[in-house]
Amino acid sequence: MHMANELLSVPVAVGTLGAAAAGLGFVCHKAKNIITSDKFALMGIMGAFVFAAQMVNFQLPLMPGTSGHMVGAVLLAIILGPYAGAIAISAVVIIQCLIFQDGGLLALGCNIINMALLPSFLGYGVYRVFAGAELFRGQIYTGSIVACLVALVAGAVLVSVESAVSGVLSVPFYTFLFTMVGVHLIIGVIEGVITGAVLLYLRQVRPDIIAAGTANTGRFSKPVAYMTIIAATVVIGAGISHLASSLPDGLEWSYAERPDEPDFESIVSNQSPAVTAVEDFQSRYSVLPDYTIRSGAFGQKATDGAAEAGAGWQSFAAVSGSAATMGLIWLGALALRKRNGVQNAPRAD
Amino acid sequence: MHHAQIDRLSYRASPVHALDARVKLICVLVFSVFVISLPATSVSILACYAIWPFAVLVTANIPIKFVLKHILIVSPFVAVLAVSNLLYDKEVVVAVFGPWRWETTGGLLRCFSICGKFIITMTALVGLAATTRFSDLLAAMAKLGVPHLFVVQLGFLYRYIFMLIDRGYHVLRARAGRKLRRLGFGDEVKTSAAIVGSIFIGSIDLAQRVSMAMQGRGFDGRFHRLGKKRIAGADYLFAAILALYIVGLQFLGRVFY
Repeated sequence: MHMANELLSVPVAVGTLGAAAAGLGFVCHKAKNIITSDKFALMGIMGAFVFAAQMVNFQLPLMPGTSGHMVGAVLLAIILGPYAGAIAISAVVIIQCLIFQDGGLLALGCNIINMALLPSFLGYGVYRVFAGAELFRGQIYTGSIVACLVALVAGAVLVSVESAVSGVLSVPFYTFLFTMVGVHLIIGVIEGVITGAVLLYLRQVRPDIIAAGTANTGRFSKPVAYMTIIAATVVIGAGISHLASSLPDGLEWSYAERPDEPDFESIVSNQSPAVTAVEDFQSRYSVLPDYTIRSGAFGQKATDGAAEAGAGWQSFAAVSGSAATMGLIWLGALALRKRNGVQNAPRAD
Repeated sequence: MHHAQIDRLSYRASPVHALDARVKLICVLVFSVFVISLPATSVSILACYAIWPFAVLVTANIPIKFVLKHILIVSPFVAVLAVSNLLYDKEVVVAVFGPWRWETTGGLLRCFSICGKFIITMTALVGLAATTRFSDLLAAMAKLGVPHLFVVQLGFLYRYIFMLIDRGYHVLRARAGRKLRRLGFGDEVKTSAAIVGSIFIGSIDLAQRVSMAMQGRGFDGRFHRLGKKRIAGADYLFAAILALYIVGLQFLGRVFY
């Protein structure tokens, strides 16, 4: 579910980065009372545990040759409480971005919201509502499956909404949404089953951990759990309905019309005044477009051959010039390295 | 393992390695913003934007092949979305490149644009990770105002990831040695849950030992660092070159493309 930079527009990326920073700041502020300095190591190692847990794969039924693994966000939220869980998983998402390059730097805000903050709080809230007093195996399984389902599907919905609001989707919004939700429904059930199994194992082997986890939640009571679920439903529902109402007219192809289809219903566009102004500026001052759109149907000759040729040479100049520059940088670095000796020695400090 | 390789690369010495982590982090962020805001139709200008991360990697002496291989590993999700453009955008356009001219679809250009932007921004990010030690990155985050609790959390997490990943490998090898046939789904889940559970318990025990040892040595919840690095002339120069480069490319993009 890691989003890449390319799935977002800059305003959405900056907005979600701000929202994630504010959310994390709030969570850290709230967690100050729960996480004392003697628990720092525990929190960090729990984050690292997620990496190890994700390695444990298992064969999936009905799909020979495929295997699944758990993600761990909901498990940590259930055991450590939503605040500590959210911090641990946010740290995991940041490390995945900075060290493993899984997810873009600009998309970090979205990824923290979709994969850490939302699943932790939503997953925890739903689990507490459905698992009740955790007296029976069935309660634990029901709680964890519903919690994982809701948490993962909510994250998947947010991914679709964020990409659609960014206006980068050429895939119709509902196709993308249904694909994401469909895939995450399956993943959610599997995640829920394995989370429930791990919780049962822990209850059997080390019941003190589960008991400590239940007490360690930072006063996240049942009313708060209900409120979280309602708020999340309203926000996600409102996002989808807003998109649904704005899809037919608000979004259109960002760069072209379809002369061959006058009734063509557009999908992606950005109608903000800033974008219109920039497009206006570009159209006034740009000498030639990067490529020329055919004015006729397929098979006809394009009308403006001279313009095309000019644009072609500019593209050619851009690519070949860049290649030449890179070649020069490469040769320069080689020459410098030869003169200065090898630079691979570790730093002294 | 590739992540260990990135870790090793960050301990090398080069002019890029010596730069302040804050400056590098902000520069990568700003550079990504400009690459992402390019219109989906501007494909050839992407080649010009690729020069910057390339120059950084070459100056830092990071093997390009390693970087590309690393990017390939993290690309599946983006690749699926890029390829889906081919199916949904079949509008016929004429692409011209130098003396060549051919008819293609808007989807192909969008696909190229998404892949190009992905490779460029990811190369910039790998450039940051491979030239900056994680402890420096943490210090940069702390100076940029990230809550102390969270910076300490990231520090501990990074310290123990590789240890627990190794533990994961050991446990999985043990399972592979004992599991001689395909099990049913129930047994698969039960076994995996027991493995995850035992790793969890092991992690908690490890955390308790580490915590006691650290408190025994006087850990009060803060990481203390030797020397306070200041932003120097080279850092300003790096940022200024990037600014000039971006302004130049924006001008080029606005006027010629």
